[in-house]
Amino acid sequence: MTLTIALAGNPNCGKTTLFNALTGARHHVGNWPGVTVERRSGTFEHGGTTMEVVDLPGTYSLAARSEDERVAVQFLASPEVDLVLNVLDASNMERNLYLSTQLLELGKPVAFVLNMVDDAEDRGVRIDLPALELLLGGPVIPTVGNREQGIDELKTLLGQMARGESNRCRRIVVDYGHDIEGELAKLQKEICRDEQLEASMPPRWLALQLLENNVEAKRVVGESHASEAINQQLAKSFAFLEPHLGADGATLVAERRYGFAHGLVKEVASAPDDKKSPTAKLDAILTHRALGMPIFVGILALMYSLSFILGKIPQDWIADGFKALSTFASASLPAGELTSLLVDGVIPGVSAVIVFVPVIMILMGCIAFLEDTGYMARAAFIMDRLMHVMGLHGKSFIPLIMGSGCNVPAIQAARTIESPQDRLITMLVTPLVSCSARLQVYIVIAGTFFTPFKAALSIIAMHFLGLGLAVLMGRVLRSALFSGPSSPFVMELPPYRLPMLKATLIHMWEKGSVFLTRAGTTIFAGATLIWFLSRYPGIANREWTLEYQQQRQAVGALNLPTAESEERLKALQLAHESRIVNTSLAARLGQKVEPILRPILDPDHKRPEAWKDVIALTAGFVAKEIVVSTMAVIHQASEEPKEGERLSPLQVALRDGSGLTPLTALAFMVFTLIYTPCIGTIAMIRREAGSWRWAAFTVGYGLVLGWGLAWVTVAVGRAMGFA
Amino acid sequence: MTHNLPIPLSLLQPGDQGEVVQIQAQGQVRQRLLEMGFIRGARLRVEKLAPLGDPMELVIKGYHLSLRREESSCILVQPVA
Repeated sequence: MTLTIALAGNPNCGKTTLFNALTGARHHVGNWPGVTVERRSGTFEHGGTTMEVVDLPGTYSLAARSEDERVAVQFLASPEVDLVLNVLDASNMERNLYLSTQLLELGKPVAFVLNMVDDAEDRGVRIDLPALELLLGGPVIPTVGNREQGIDELKTLLGQMARGESNRCRRIVVDYGHDIEGELAKLQKEICRDEQLEASMPPRWLALQLLENNVEAKRVVGESHASEAINQQLAKSFAFLEPHLGADGATLVAERRYGFAHGLVKEVASAPDDKKSPTAKLDAILTHRALGMPIFVGILALMYSLSFILGKIPQDWIADGFKALSTFASASLPAGELTSLLVDGVIPGVSAVIVFVPVIMILMGCIAFLEDTGYMARAAFIMDRLMHVMGLHGKSFIPLIMGSGCNVPAIQAARTIESPQDRLITMLVTPLVSCSARLQVYIVIAGTFFTPFKAALSIIAMHFLGLGLAVLMGRVLRSALFSGPSSPFVMELPPYRLPMLKATLIHMWEKGSVFLTRAGTTIFAGATLIWFLSRYPGIANREWTLEYQQQRQAVGALNLPTAESEERLKALQLAHESRIVNTSLAARLGQKVEPILRPILDPDHKRPEAWKDVIALTAGFVAKEIVVSTMAVIHQASEEPKEGERLSPLQVALRDGSGLTPLTALAFMVFTLIYTPCIGTIAMIRREAGSWRWAAFTVGYGLVLGWGLAWVTVAVGRAMGFA
Repeated sequence: MTHNLPIPLSLLQPGDQGEVVQIQAQGQVRQRLLEMGFIRGARLRVEKLAPLGDPMELVIKGYHLSLRREESSCILVQPVA
C-alpha cells in the first residue's frame, strides 16, 4: 500500500528542505511531462508503509497562469494524489494561507506543516496549534525543516494517515459571504449539467475560478456542452455582484480569501514584536543605496573566482588525465580507424563532458547558496533597473556574467529566473558572451597578427562586443518573439536564512548528475560526429596508414637520440593527421561554403586555402579551444612555442602561410566569437529550453549574426584604409 | 475625514504608508497583485528604492515585496499619515 503525497506551498516556505529531510537521498529529479519545470519525487518508509512524496513547484496561487501553477494544479487534481501536504511559513502565515484556501477547495484531504516555527518565535509570534488545527480542519505539525525538527512526528502522522489509523482531515469551506455563495451555488448547478465537467474537478472550485475571470477555467468550460448555460449564468452573476459589492469578481474572491486568512491568523497567532529583525539590519547594508552595488559586485567576483579559478584546478586534472590517456592509447595501439575513433573521438568526447562537472557543481553550489540565503532576490532587486532597460530581468545578470567563464553552467544558472520568457531570452543571448575557451583562440590569432598592446586591446574589445550583442539581442528577441507585455515583476524579498550545508551539497550533486545524464549524451554524440566529419575518408585509407607506419619504423631504425627521435615522430604524426584532415568531409564542406565566407575571410581573393579555416571552425563546434589545435594539425605546425621565441610554430605558419591579414584576422576573431555556441552549450540550451527548436535557433542566428558582423569589420576596416 | 485623493503607489516615498484603494491593471498583472495581497484596504509601507531608483521595496501583509514602477504606478493608494 503506497500513499502519494503532494507537497504544496509558497516559494521560500522551506518546502524543498522539508522534502530533502523527508526523503533523504532517496529521490529523483526529472521534468514534468512536456514542460521544463523540475519534478522532484522521492519515497520514505514508516512502520512498513512506503510513501511517495512529490515536491510541487512553489507557487503563490493555483490560478494556472504560469507553467509552474498549471503543473501544480493538474497534479493536485489528478487521482494519483491521495494527500496534500501544505507547507506554511510560520513567520508569514497570512499570505501563505491564501494558497491554503485554494488547496482546500480542490477536494483532497489536506494536512499542514507549520515550518520555520523558530523564525516565528524569534519574532515573538506565538501560535495556538490546537486552534489552528480546528480552523484549518486538518492536522498541523510544527517543524524546523533545516534542523530536521518535527520530521519524525510528521512521518508518524503521514504513516498513520496512510494506514487509515488517523483521519483528522475534515473538509472545511471558506465562506465567501451570502451574495457570492448564492451565485456560486447557481454556477455549480449549471456546471453539474455536464457530468464529465463535474467529474474533472470540484464544481465549486471551477465556479470560483470562473468568478475570478480565469482564462484556463473559461477554456475548460468552452469545451463543455453546457458552456452556453454556464456562461449565461456567469454573466448574470457578474451583473449582480459587481454593482452590489463594488468590485469585480477577481477582487471579491481574493478579498474573501484574504479575509479568511487574516481572521485565522488573528485568532491563532500573536502579533510580532516591533524590534528590528536581523533581515532588516542586514538589508540596511546589503541593499543600501550606495553600498548595495559594490557589495553585489564583490560577491559576484568571489563566486566567479570560486567557479572558474578554483574550479579550473580539478578541470585541469581531468583534461590532463584524458590527454595522458589518449597519448597512451595512440602510442600503444596500431594506427588506424579504431584507434583514431578512440583517441580523437571517444576520449576527447568523454573529456569534453566530464571537464564541465567541477565548474557546474561549484557555480550551482554558489547559486543555491545565494538562493537559499535569500540574497538572490536582493541581487535581482539591485540589478533589475539596469537589466530591464536591456529587456531582461534582474536575475539575468548572474548568468550573463558567469557566461564569460563558461556558457554551459551559465545557461543552467538561468533556472533561477521564474518567468519562462525572461529565462528563454537569457538563455538565447548568453552564448554571445565571450567565454574562456574563445579567449584561447583570440590569444593565438591576435598574438600572431597584432603588436602585444593592440592584441590585448582587440581581446578586450571582443569581450565588450559579446556583452553588447547580448544586450542588443535581448531587446531584439524580446520584441520579435514576445509581442505581449512582459510578465509582471512582483518579487518577494524573503527573510535571510542560513542554509544547511547538506541542502547545498544535495543541490550541487543534483545539478552535476543531471548535466552528466541529460546533456552528456548530446555532447558525446556531437563530438563523435565532428570526429567523423574531420577524419573521413582519409582515416580509412590503408595506403596512407601503411606509409605512416613505414615512416615511423624508418625513424626508429635510425637510432637517433630520444629527444630528436620523438620530435621527428611528432612531425610525422602531424603530417599524417594533416593529410587526413585536409582531405576530410569537413574540408570538402569548407571548399563548398568558401564562396559564402569569402567576403569576410578572403575579401581580396588572395587566399586559395581559406577553406581550411572552415575545418577549424567546424571542429570548434565541439569546444572553441579545439579551433586552435585543429589549426595546428591543418598547418602542420605545433601550437607550443619553442624556447626563447615569442611566436609558436603555428603562429609563424599562420602569419606566413595562411594569407590572413590583420584585418581578416580580426574578422576571424569576430566570427569565432559569434558563429555558434559549442556543443556543450547547445546541449544545455536544448535541455533547459525543452526543445531542439531553440537550440537550432541559437546556432542559426549565431551564424547569420557572426557573418554579418565579420563583414562589417572587413568593410569598415577597408574603408578606414586597413588591409 | 481625510481629504487626500488616492495616488499611485509609485509616488509614495520610502517610509510612507498607504492603504490600497484599487488596482487599475487588468489581466495577469491584476490577478497576481491580488494574490500577493493588494486587496482593498490592505495597509502597506514603502521600505526603500533600489540603488538605481527602481524597483521599490515595500511591506504588505507582513512580508517584503519588490515592484517595478510599471506595476506600482497602477496601484492606487490612500496615503496614511
